Amino acid sequence: MEPASAEANYYYALSHELRRKIINIIGENKYSSFTYLKKELKVSTGTIYHHLDSLSKLIVQQDDKKYYLTELGLHAYNSLRENIDTIITPDFSKKEFNSPILKGLMHLTPKNYINYNNNTRYRMLIISIILTLIGAIFCGLNGLFPFFLFFGEPPITIEFIDIALKILLSFVFVGNLLLYFLINEGICRIFYKKKENTLKFLISFAIILFPIDIYLCLRLILILTGSFDFASVKILDNVLMILFQVWALWLLTYNLSANKKLKIENALIISLLVHYGGFSIVLLLAI
Amino acid sequence: MNIKKYLDFRLLGLTGSILLILSQFLSWYSNQSLLDIYIIKTSVSIVDSFLYLFPLICGIICLVGTIIIMYNLEYRINSVIINFIGLGFFLVFVIKIIPEDLLYLPSANIGFYFSIIGSILVFFDILNILLTKEK
Repeated sequence: MEPASAEANYYYALSHELRRKIINIIGENKYSSFTYLKKELKVSTGTIYHHLDSLSKLIVQQDDKKYYLTELGLHAYNSLRENIDTIITPDFSKKEFNSPILKGLMHLTPKNYINYNNNTRYRMLIISIILTLIGAIFCGLNGLFPFFLFFGEPPITIEFIDIALKILLSFVFVGNLLLYFLINEGICRIFYKKKENTLKFLISFAIILFPIDIYLCLRLILILTGSFDFASVKILDNVLMILFQVWALWLLTYNLSANKKLKIENALIISLLVHYGGFSIVLLLAI
Repeated sequence: MNIKKYLDFRLLGLTGSILLILSQFLSWYSNQSLLDIYIIKTSVSIVDSFLYLFPLICGIICLVGTIIIMYNLEYRINSVIINFIGLGFFLVFVIKIIPEDLLYLPSANIGFYFSIIGSILVFFDILNILLTKEK
């Protein structure tokens, strides 16, 4: 029996998964046709009509036969979105996250990019590709050999690095990113049995390159301006590398936590193990 | 005697960071501490000499991270992030300096081993902090 009052109707509507999906679909697209709802929900026509009837105070069918959200429906949609953001965002409600360090890191975290919804998937994919390309170009121009979040210095001065080598280093940069992703995904699957959101994790994975791109760009500017020979600039370069690495590690942690539904502590363990595991390999290679 | 009671996980970080700080002043190669090497290198080439101070910087930062978690157990993630930054300095030092000084490693003295053990202790401290369940 459908509840009569608006309030009862509101909570009744939100109590069923399919009804929540209907509200979300219409809310995300501003309106929806019956055919589109049927295609998205993959349930029988009768079931959809039944739930649309239950949502009579939240959804209205207008003259163009499309379904729109009423004012109450919009309120329900916004409420659902806010709740979903809270749920899919890692547990950052702790008192600890009010500390200046984590507050600062949270400000530097593009949450919408990592917690994107299906509508913005292609936009995020394009941003990811752009971030990767920028990183690859800067890595090649710097003549650095990438390994995870580390960069090895070239044995020869940048002016003498062959253009072919620069292009090769750019390709290595992209390969390195994919390898880094596969290792993270593998650890999530093997140790934490988290197989969900692989594609979403892959698309938003390139966000860890954002700090790295900035670092590589700054480094190139320092080299090209000739200030890289000064001791203070070298110190600055090293400090910047460390800080941008930590920022990238934080973004990876957040991404793991949000998309792989890992506790923040477990996500940090993965970041730590992969990062320092990578370091050990670099060291062994160097020796 | 309940040993576990005294082997608090915070001790790992404290010991590790103190070892890292001490390593700066202990003999590394040929009875020379990192501080001595830093002073010698400064007179030759100031550009890379500051790297020899990184274990000290790492130790100080990790000590801050440990003190934070000692002050308040709720600040676990903060402590981990600070330790990440601290270990970052040590990694840069190891990556850039160790390959250069590879020839001297077989004759390395106590300072070198202190720094390696210190960094490993800090690493396990981070793992321990993250694996310890909140009450």
